[in-house]
Amino acid sequence: MSSAYIASIINSTLRSTTPILLAALGSAICSRVGVFNVALEAQMLIGCFFSIAVNYATGSLLLAVGAGILSGALVGLVVALLQVKYKAADMVIGTSLNLLVQGGTTFLLYLLFGLRGVLNDPKLVPLYKINLPVIRDIPFLGRVLENLTILDYICYIVAALLFVWLFKTVSGFHILSVGINKAAAESLGTKATRIQMQMVVLSGALCGLGGTALSMGQVTMFTENMTSGRGFIAMAAASLGMSHPLLTIFSSLFFGLCQGIGLALQNVIKSQLTMTLPYVATIVALVLFSRRSARRQA
Amino acid sequence: MKHITKVYGSLYANNDVHLTLDKGEILAVVGENGAGKSTLMKILYGLEQPTSGKIYLNGQLQHFRSPHDAINQKIGMVQQHFMLLNPCTVAENIVYGREPRKGLFFDREEAVRVTEALCEKYGLHIDPRRLVGDCPVGLQQRVEILKVLYQDADIIIFDEPSAVLTPQEVNELLRTMRKLAEMGKSIIIITHKLHEVMAVADRVMVMRLGRYIQEMAKTETSIEEMSYLMVGRRIVERQVPPRKPTGRVLEVQDLVLAGSEAKNILDHFSIHVDGGEIVGIAGVSGNGQSELIQCLTGLLQPTSGKVMLKGQDVAGKSVGDIRTAGCACIPEDRYLWGCAARASLTETAIMAHQRSSKISRNGLLNNKGARDFTQSLLDGYDVRNSGQTQKAGELSGGNIQKLIVAREIEQHSPLLIAAEPTRGVDIGAMEFIHNKLLEKREQGDAVLLISSELTEIMSLSDRIYVIYEGRAVGEFRKADATEEDLGILMMGGKLNEAVS
Repeated sequence: MSSAYIASIINSTLRSTTPILLAALGSAICSRVGVFNVALEAQMLIGCFFSIAVNYATGSLLLAVGAGILSGALVGLVVALLQVKYKAADMVIGTSLNLLVQGGTTFLLYLLFGLRGVLNDPKLVPLYKINLPVIRDIPFLGRVLENLTILDYICYIVAALLFVWLFKTVSGFHILSVGINKAAAESLGTKATRIQMQMVVLSGALCGLGGTALSMGQVTMFTENMTSGRGFIAMAAASLGMSHPLLTIFSSLFFGLCQGIGLALQNVIKSQLTMTLPYVATIVALVLFSRRSARRQA
Repeated sequence: MKHITKVYGSLYANNDVHLTLDKGEILAVVGENGAGKSTLMKILYGLEQPTSGKIYLNGQLQHFRSPHDAINQKIGMVQQHFMLLNPCTVAENIVYGREPRKGLFFDREEAVRVTEALCEKYGLHIDPRRLVGDCPVGLQQRVEILKVLYQDADIIIFDEPSAVLTPQEVNELLRTMRKLAEMGKSIIIITHKLHEVMAVADRVMVMRLGRYIQEMAKTETSIEEMSYLMVGRRIVERQVPPRKPTGRVLEVQDLVLAGSEAKNILDHFSIHVDGGEIVGIAGVSGNGQSELIQCLTGLLQPTSGKVMLKGQDVAGKSVGDIRTAGCACIPEDRYLWGCAARASLTETAIMAHQRSSKISRNGLLNNKGARDFTQSLLDGYDVRNSGQTQKAGELSGGNIQKLIVAREIEQHSPLLIAAEPTRGVDIGAMEFIHNKLLEKREQGDAVLLISSELTEIMSLSDRIYVIYEGRAVGEFRKADATEEDLGILMMGGKLNEAVS
């Protein structure tokens, strides 16, 4: 295998990781406050759609990214209201929102733009591709970091900030305490339910940004159901990373790698088969991990 | 607190209750379960809002909308169920809500220093860096107390503080309360253990059925008077005549249940129970009692050892086989093991009776028989209900417990295991259940009583074993047992002289 080939796999790993990592951080912060948020897929997909829709309508990158974040947060707000405030069943809320957004975005695509399935237009403004002047010319590294967008860098900063917030600050301590023992946190005057709702909305925003990274990263387009299960992969990544922001980086990179390899093997093996790689990896990783933690508990 | 009334639906939890507290005073609020003590304290601590009535603090009218308001007015509460963050350190738990900061960050080193200073000031020692989950219950309670002290509370409410403690830990706690009172803190202790009231309180207030009954200085009252006021009638001191055992019913030999680590949960545990005797197993919760019950009843498979029931080894047999062999069980957690909350009273009552000829024939239930049988239990055991279709979960704790006790005693099995038979039930129900256990003994059956209430063990048992870390560490005849000796063994200590 040539080094250029390896570099291109790493490059595609990094790009595939970004949406997964952002959504996984959203999932992690939900489980840290004791909310089982199944609607990650919906929060991502709506971000994909609205960032492209606003991009198409206004041509403004800032508004497009903002729309992605905001729409994800709105779905998060629905989850927060129904699931946290009114205590509806998590699986029901999550599954129905996932299906609703999948159908809803397809419907809006037709309603707003008269398109079926795909919105791909030369009018769409792509995110800036960053090609750092000196690094660009280093043979291997230059190829690895080629054409990454700013979001591909920001996601790691978000993870680091989340870590500092949760584990080093007082408000982070309060957030974690809600997940550890909600009654205890409340008895000391922490507004636990409000914190849970805030974190679910934040997870929506992170997933929305992840969706934006997906529809405005490698390509700049929206296709029907383009998240294709990444929300669930992100849940697996957060769980493998034990809902710890820094560990989640590594688990997300693992799933990104699986997608990268899947993409790279497309030309060798039938693509229908290679595209299953991330999902197979998810199941295998979860099985291995749960066996290990089960043994630790026994 | 003046004219406090709290109504839940049609129930008056508090009905025109008054309470006063002086500086540096220890006030005991006593009453049975459901007398409204906890509700009153929840109102004072802002967890509940009164339907009517007013709270004055140092002459000023207060409105507590949340515990936050109460904490700000220097009222703290040591909850009965600890409100702790187990995976966090002692220091983190104590400073919660008023954390020391360094710039933007939580200064955990300063938290440790603050905790150490606080421990020093009140003479309550604990390692600030230890994880709360690793601390024994007595220390966890100390964390709760320090938490309240860190919030600078002048009024400290203790809600049933001794429920989970060993006698030694209780003494330690009572000393702590005295010391805090001497330092000028005002203390309210909610309890139904009257000897603690006599040991520590300055003044006693009695509540019954949500009403304020009477209050008096400790020096002017007695345990008898207080229990009379609490229950509304005289409780007779129980005198249990000795009785000759009628032959071996249960013999447990070298029972071992391996744990996850090197330590065994049950470690060569050996006891025996004869017919016509009640054998008590005393111990602090979590020393293998639950596992012992589960091994004896077939819910867990012991690793090795014998369980001889009427001469037949039932170790490792199924629950059904063991029941058929002659074992009934009042389980320790009535909602987890004892009943299904959504089952009707009929269904609850016939559980484990379903194969008796009165209740079913050829696999078909005889509904009339089931109803008659259920009614006989409900009437015979004074279970207050609104009809057999009522759900088990809707009965009060005492009443569902009486139904479970009825069901298990009516098995007429040679062995009855009674685990925490009176946990969380009021004095009336407790007395009733105790009488039923003694009747069972009178019939010549064996009763194995497992309880964390030492007074219960001591008043009912003919013989007492102490369980500590899965081993039977002491055996006493009733006459030889003292609370102090049992307490020392329960804590893993040793007695100087050998006991038989």
